[in-house]
Amino acid sequence: MTETKQPGDSPKKDHGVLYIGMDLGTSRTSVSASNGVRETVYSYVGYPKDVVSRKLLQKDVLFGKEALQHRKSVNLYKPLEKGVLKYMSDGHNDTESKINLKAAQELIGEAIRLAKPRKDELVYCVIGAPAEASVKNKGAIIEAARLAKVDSVMLCSEPFAVAYGLDWLEDVLVVDIGAGTTDLCRMHGTMPEEGDQVMFDIAGDAVDAELERRITLTCPGADVTIYRVKEIKERYGYIGDPPERCIVELPVNGKPTPFDLTEQIAQACSILVDPIVSGIHKLVASFDPDFQHKIKERVLLAGGGSMVKGLDSAIEKAMRERLGAGKVLRIEEPVYGGANGALKVAHDMPADFWEQLK
Amino acid sequence: MSGLRETLKEAVRQLAFRTSLSSLKKKGVQKVNVLGIDRIVALIEASVHRSLKSRLLGADREAVAEATKAEFLRLLRSNEDLQRQKSEWEQQKEQAEEEIDQLRRDLAQHTRSLQNRLEQVELENSNRYDGENAVIARKVSDVMQAIAGNAGMSAKAAEEKVMELVMDVVSGERQDAEQARRALQDREVDNLQRRIRKLNETLQQTEQRLQHVAATKNIEGGISSLYREVQGVSVGDALANKKSELMAEIFKANLELQKKTSKR
Repeated sequence: MTETKQPGDSPKKDHGVLYIGMDLGTSRTSVSASNGVRETVYSYVGYPKDVVSRKLLQKDVLFGKEALQHRKSVNLYKPLEKGVLKYMSDGHNDTESKINLKAAQELIGEAIRLAKPRKDELVYCVIGAPAEASVKNKGAIIEAARLAKVDSVMLCSEPFAVAYGLDWLEDVLVVDIGAGTTDLCRMHGTMPEEGDQVMFDIAGDAVDAELERRITLTCPGADVTIYRVKEIKERYGYIGDPPERCIVELPVNGKPTPFDLTEQIAQACSILVDPIVSGIHKLVASFDPDFQHKIKERVLLAGGGSMVKGLDSAIEKAMRERLGAGKVLRIEEPVYGGANGALKVAHDMPADFWEQLK
Repeated sequence: MSGLRETLKEAVRQLAFRTSLSSLKKKGVQKVNVLGIDRIVALIEASVHRSLKSRLLGADREAVAEATKAEFLRLLRSNEDLQRQKSEWEQQKEQAEEEIDQLRRDLAQHTRSLQNRLEQVELENSNRYDGENAVIARKVSDVMQAIAGNAGMSAKAAEEKVMELVMDVVSGERQDAEQARRALQDREVDNLQRRIRKLNETLQQTEQRLQHVAATKNIEGGISSLYREVQGVSVGDALANKKSELMAEIFKANLELQKKTSKR
């Protein structure tokens, strides 16, 4: 198929329709597209510090792991915090905020590019965003997607997208554990309302901070960065019985030294359980009593934080203790659960709606 | 008699030598006895007359006196001639010495000019051959001097000497030429190696760029979607109605959001 160019040098989009579902997360941004592409990138954006690093890196902007790997030679930005764009979280609009906005827009653009859209296809995108995000914040996300040549874009609640992607639309409670926030959403066949959702900031980043604190306390002399702590958590994170001893080498005065972090990791990851169970408790208790037993049996764990081994069992155990019952399921692809759901929303959205939002 | 007296005076004067008081003092003479020349002449006349008076008679005495006088005058003239000759010889001697001095001066001047000329020739020779040529010229000169200096050297020996010189010079030149050729080759090889390295680097960069361009093209080209048209909720879906309602709600929320953001 060849591209047909219009006089204005913008290709005529008569080839087809590409749907993109995007999970714009504090730690990772994932996309699933109707051309079979599924990609994830760490939500880091790096700009070369000077002409030397620009010449060395041969790029004006770096994303994800590449930006992290070169964090010594780039100005590194993590444009999202607690699920929303950082730039307006404090209400200010200074230079740093502007750069964060630019970084967020470029990150969204990169995520769109990762989906490999054709120039001659219509691109319709659904982005999972926290319900708590402000109008201005949501507007900035939409604007960034438009700058990345998306023809029409919609936002939807992240936990809703997860549930929709699995066709679990009724009597299900989604627990989406991200890096910045944990979002709980009660699904009962309609669009979730404010009362159907609970959000708190004890999530992946909080676990990292707790693990770093415990390492500092129990491993004298060990030099560790938050990036290394995150790696350790993603590699060994568990709650309950340890699947293996977590022996990690950390530098002590420049010398790699092995430390047994088994206990510290379990203790750090355990901070997730209580707030999640409290949130579940709140949503169950406020639900129709005739359907509470159903919702307790359909708790769905999603998001990167759900990859902590034994978390589902720990929540189940706590639910049984506090709610009398509980059944927790982990989705198969925690990293792509939100993006897959958003893709399905995009697919099911009628043409008329897309047209009106162009 | 007065003529004789004058003649005697003149003779005494000539026989006497002149000196000064200061030179006498230098010789240690503190006092001198002064005798006048007239007195000396009178003494000589008196002594001659007394001698002649005691030994000869009147006539004889006169004859002897005349003869003596004549002899004396002849001796005096002879002495004067000798004096004259002496002074002429001395003049000739001085003249000859002057000529000798002149000849010596001329010789020294010629010697100097010859030396200058030799030095000039040597300088010209040394300037004519500089660097390696000067070395060769020196070797040739040494050999030629050795041949010239050894008159008894046979033609065979001279030929060997010259041959040895020629071989030495030629082999040296060949060696130098070979070294220069090798150095030139080494430089060329270095240059070529540098060029190869540079070309390799350029090739790698070009390959990277090609890969990048290929990757970019891939992105730009994109991957085709499964769908030619907008899909929507499948009619056969068991949850079609519910899903349609949900889609409508999402759309409304987004439309409202769009309106709000467009107002700002």
